[in-house]
Amino acid sequence: MATARVSAPWQTLASWRARLRRYWVERLPPRDVMHLTQRNVYILPTRPGFMLAATLMVLLVASINYQLNLGYLLTFLLAGSTLVGMHICHGTLRGLTLQLQPPEPAFAGASVPISLVLLNARKRVRHGIGLSVLGAGHWAWTDVPGQGSATVQVAFQPQRRGRQPIPALTAETRFPLGTFRVWTVWRPAARVLVYPQPEARPPPLPPGEPRTGEVARPHPTSSSEHDGVRAYRRGDALKLVVWKKAARAGELVSRDSQQTHSLELWLDLAQTGLPAAGASGHGDAALERSLSRLCAWVLAADRQGLRYGLRLGPTRIAPATGEAHRRQCLEALALLGTGP
Amino acid sequence: MLDTLRQLPRDARDTLFLLLVIASVLTPQLGHLPVWCSLLAGGVLGWRGWLAWTARPLPARWWLFALLLLTIGATLWTHRTLLGRDAGVTLIVVLLTLKTLELRARRDAFVVFFLGFFTMLTNFFFSQSLLTAAAMLVALMGLLTALVNTHMPVGKPPLREAARTAAGMALLGAPIMAVLFMLFPRVAPLWGIPSDAMAGRTGLSASMQVGSIASLALDDGVAMRIRFDGPAPRQNDLYFRGPVLSTLDGREWRALRSRFPAPLQNAANLQVSGPALQYQVTLEPNNRNWILALDATPDKPLTPGHDLRMTPELQWVSAQPVADLLRYQVRSYPSFRHGPPRRTAALQDYLELPPGFNPRTMQWASELRQGPRAELDPARLVDLALERLRAGGYTYTLDPGVYGQHTADEFWFDRKEGFCEHIASAFVILMRSLDIPARIVTGYQGGEFNGLGGFWVVRHSDAHAWAEVWLAGRGWVRVDPTAAVAPGRTGSLQRLQAPRGVIAQALGAVSPLALFNLREAWDAMNNRWNQWVLNYSQTTQLKLLQDIGFTSPDWADLGYVLIALVVAASLLGAAWTLWDHSRQDPWLRLLRRANRRIADAGLALPPHTPPRGLAAQVLLRWGPDTAATRAIGDWLLRLETARYAPQDGGTAHPTIQRLRREFKQLSWPTR
Repeated sequence: MATARVSAPWQTLASWRARLRRYWVERLPPRDVMHLTQRNVYILPTRPGFMLAATLMVLLVASINYQLNLGYLLTFLLAGSTLVGMHICHGTLRGLTLQLQPPEPAFAGASVPISLVLLNARKRVRHGIGLSVLGAGHWAWTDVPGQGSATVQVAFQPQRRGRQPIPALTAETRFPLGTFRVWTVWRPAARVLVYPQPEARPPPLPPGEPRTGEVARPHPTSSSEHDGVRAYRRGDALKLVVWKKAARAGELVSRDSQQTHSLELWLDLAQTGLPAAGASGHGDAALERSLSRLCAWVLAADRQGLRYGLRLGPTRIAPATGEAHRRQCLEALALLGTGP
Repeated sequence: MLDTLRQLPRDARDTLFLLLVIASVLTPQLGHLPVWCSLLAGGVLGWRGWLAWTARPLPARWWLFALLLLTIGATLWTHRTLLGRDAGVTLIVVLLTLKTLELRARRDAFVVFFLGFFTMLTNFFFSQSLLTAAAMLVALMGLLTALVNTHMPVGKPPLREAARTAAGMALLGAPIMAVLFMLFPRVAPLWGIPSDAMAGRTGLSASMQVGSIASLALDDGVAMRIRFDGPAPRQNDLYFRGPVLSTLDGREWRALRSRFPAPLQNAANLQVSGPALQYQVTLEPNNRNWILALDATPDKPLTPGHDLRMTPELQWVSAQPVADLLRYQVRSYPSFRHGPPRRTAALQDYLELPPGFNPRTMQWASELRQGPRAELDPARLVDLALERLRAGGYTYTLDPGVYGQHTADEFWFDRKEGFCEHIASAFVILMRSLDIPARIVTGYQGGEFNGLGGFWVVRHSDAHAWAEVWLAGRGWVRVDPTAAVAPGRTGSLQRLQAPRGVIAQALGAVSPLALFNLREAWDAMNNRWNQWVLNYSQTTQLKLLQDIGFTSPDWADLGYVLIALVVAASLLGAAWTLWDHSRQDPWLRLLRRANRRIADAGLALPPHTPPRGLAAQVLLRWGPDTAATRAIGDWLLRLETARYAPQDGGTAHPTIQRLRREFKQLSWPTR
């Protein structure tokens, strides 16, 4: 770790700073539209700003010592311009409106793009505005045209599933002279739905189950059967053709209607093949692993165009196909055990 | 070429622009830097520009170190030190140019900018003229533009935009500058001014190596300005006395180093007669302690802050160098007499000649004294010498070339050309060989009347050297041998001018008078610049306060005025912020007014309802039958058009003003 070499007092100071910052950010009211005013725009000189101040002092001393009236003029003009620059810098953010676009659901561990719209009501362009997740340090820079808007995307990586808050964002500008840093901190109210992280190399899908009410009968474990597909036979309806598979395999494959009629693919939390996967303990590492696998299965089944159902303890989602179904399943996986 | 320039990637374009700006900061310095430094700066900037143009990588660090070490060595070699003003300027220029080879991070760019600001200030060591100020203003705008440009991280914004922002900042910063300039207390130097502070702007020098005034004669800079209270004397009577050079050291004339103890030396013994001339001198700073005045000035000129005395050779000197523009009142008497009336032992100082120099002149002098004219009195000998200068084929030139060791011999017998100092020097050497006490007086001769400002301008190019010979019974008598060679050199406008630029030449050819008028206007402007900017001092500052209404202003009052202005500016700023905060888009304001009218009529709708929504609700509530309601609906729809309809140019959008007018004419429903 990088901090390992830092001496202890610095560490405690840094941790105190982080704590203070967290406390302060949490006190900010969450909102999705943020209008920047005098109250939520902050300004401090930057390191180049202090360098410029030192330069101005040197210029002033040189002017005094050499009695250069023109030197005074230069020094004061530079100082005046810097002062005006400070106001321009503050004005670049002040009066801007930030809007959060509703974020799309995403998978844990992947980066979630968040679209922000910057609205500029005034006539002049606002230059050099950077946006970033607070503390991330990856800046997305943009100009906002006069009486127009600009859209910027920043990204963050949610680590956990469920409805996750969007981390605090920050907007910053150093325009025009870089001597001042003007920034604001924004806590968005919207939450982003985070699905479990799909397992990287999941085992094959579980075998189909007989339809409810029928007696389970043993079946050979050939891949074509538990996938519920068979080779194309003349006379098969076109809608039975599994086009995706056909494209991959190079020959036509049909859904085996008999199979699908008799067998159903159920993705069950209890049958993920992972030990002690109970729906009870939230935060349980085993449960998360199981959900990861189920997530990967849902994606795999959806990719193959299969009908599949999801059983999560008491929650059941009847077998179906399609985008809406997939979303429903993923949402159930995302929200399992996270409360209402 | 222009297209390639336009298609350059942003990095290259920005770098080239920055290099251009740096070059413009450095250009006025060129004359004051050591030659190697100018060459190095030009070379490095060119190299960096080429690297940017061809998108090549920057040189490795060791290159920079090697160059830096080399330049530090060269600086030491040139200036014999790394401290002091001139060495400092050289180093800063080198650092600034070398830093451009190391533009990697944003921090490096800042270092370049700040060094650039400092380099601009160093220009003022050498000149604070209006032209310098204008050049530096342009350079400052360039630096600010480049600085603003580096803070526009998106895309490739045109430099014009950055320039506009920079100009806006400078324009708004100008009042701040003016206030600070006027009210910032002018304190004395915090520590002593280094002695080399003004080496670059000598008017005259304390010694005269024959040839050293050559560069001055080409310098059109103003040395001083004179305003006569009464009528001005004739131009060729205007001899402003500077240092008197009485001791010859080989080829170099210096101030008198007497072989006699002080009590034995000649006193000034000045007797004036006739009417006096009253005038005011504005002396440009020269960092020498010479107070220039017309011959002869018996009374101490009134110089604030300077402690004056007159030397036995009639020159007024101050205890402090003139480091600031100095204005003083003088009373001079054109007719005067001074020096010992009878020959004294101390006059021997003015007969000394270094042995081994100018053998032919000596030979000639002894021939003159031994020949048939041996009985001639000194005054006749002086006339004889002047006659020879007048008729012997001698010419006045600014470009006589380099003289050898025997300057007088070369002038009298070989080259027969030179300017005032060659002529004066040769003349005095001849006089001394003839046993006539003689010395060289340097100063300014003549001047130019400025009709616009009503004053006389004396330029560095008016620097002159003439002779004084001692004649029994008359004391020291001024003899101007240059006038004998070139009568035009004194007394009229026709003097040798330095080669002019193409435009000045063309202008001069078409209309010499226009050129003259232009120069006059320029001088008047410069005079004002001097009075208002360069001569602005603590005295002016306190006088300003007096004008405002302080009875006995001091520094504390300056502070109060400054604080009062800061407070006023802050209050104004706060008021503006409040106003700006409440300011709203006129369209939104109109929509809100419409919404309020409808609410007054009993139909409360959310504030964010669009015009179309309002129209629908109004028609729903009051029915589409009445004309008034239809008019309101129509107006609301047009309000929407004004904002949202595409601007295709085909249909004219209703303006906000028109909509506002119509708003008042609508008959809104009542409750």
